Amino acid sequence: MTTPTQTVETFLDAFARRDVDAAMALVDSQVAVTVHPFGLYDKGADVLRTVLADLVRAFPDLMITVSRVIATGDVVTALFKVEGTQSADYAGAINQEKHLDIDQAWRFVVADGLITNVAAYWCQAQLYRRLAVKRYDEIGQLT
Amino acid sequence: MTETINRSRSAESAAAVVIEFFDRYRAHDVDGMTDLCSMNAGFSYVPVEIWGKQRVLRGDGKVRTIGKPLWTGLIASFPNLSNTVHSITSNDDGDVVVQADIEGTQQLAWGLVTPAGRHYREPHLFVFHVGPDLLIDDITAYWNDAGISQQLGHNEVD
Repeated sequence: MTTPTQTVETFLDAFARRDVDAAMALVDSQVAVTVHPFGLYDKGADVLRTVLADLVRAFPDLMITVSRVIATGDVVTALFKVEGTQSADYAGAINQEKHLDIDQAWRFVVADGLITNVAAYWCQAQLYRRLAVKRYDEIGQLT
Repeated sequence: MTETINRSRSAESAAAVVIEFFDRYRAHDVDGMTDLCSMNAGFSYVPVEIWGKQRVLRGDGKVRTIGKPLWTGLIASFPNLSNTVHSITSNDDGDVVVQADIEGTQQLAWGLVTPAGRHYREPHLFVFHVGPDLLIDDITAYWNDAGISQQLGHNEVD
């Protein structure tokens, strides 16, 4: 029986390898997905798959460096840094081949070895600053 | 006679300290919030960064030197500042994770945002560590500052 921490660490290891399929193998089909910077509050594995795939597509050299994994019962909170060089439009930011480094916190709920809830927190102002976006009202469609 | 209450650290007692922290924050009792923290408590408000020409100022340091002035300034700019705690989870090692909304109506300048009397409400994730002495010895927080800026009518990234 895997622990909630092991489930999340395996998910993050796969994400760090840019292996979205392997990451999604740890996710419940009805996972609740909240991505606060996108204003995204939805449900379903396909929603989370899109969030991960978009990031991997826009930043093909994506690097995930996990600094802490905190288990509080069935809740596992991971603090990590996301780095990469933009090579496609992302979150409304056109590709200017800028380097991204941004600290994020993702809060997972795990049940029976599967992630059933994920809430992602990061600062979109930091993301846009690094991707050379100047104004929020000039951003295209978010997500 | 002085009564001394000895509580050992547990998931429950660590969470109770943090709940008290948010109660005091809601009451704008910045000294009380600080009193719940150890003398050298660490502080990191991850989204806080001000890019100057030669250096970047970040919201990293200590509760007493960075956190307290930030809380004081935030309350001055948003006199009705409040918080709503949505979830709190903890463990016996003193880790406490909190999902909370912070909200307020702007009356004074905050960073580069000029006051327009607008209201913001933004989800935050706080990660606390409570030491064996039941004092908070570390606070880290994440949120989307772009959300706050846009709600306040500030559309420039910097």
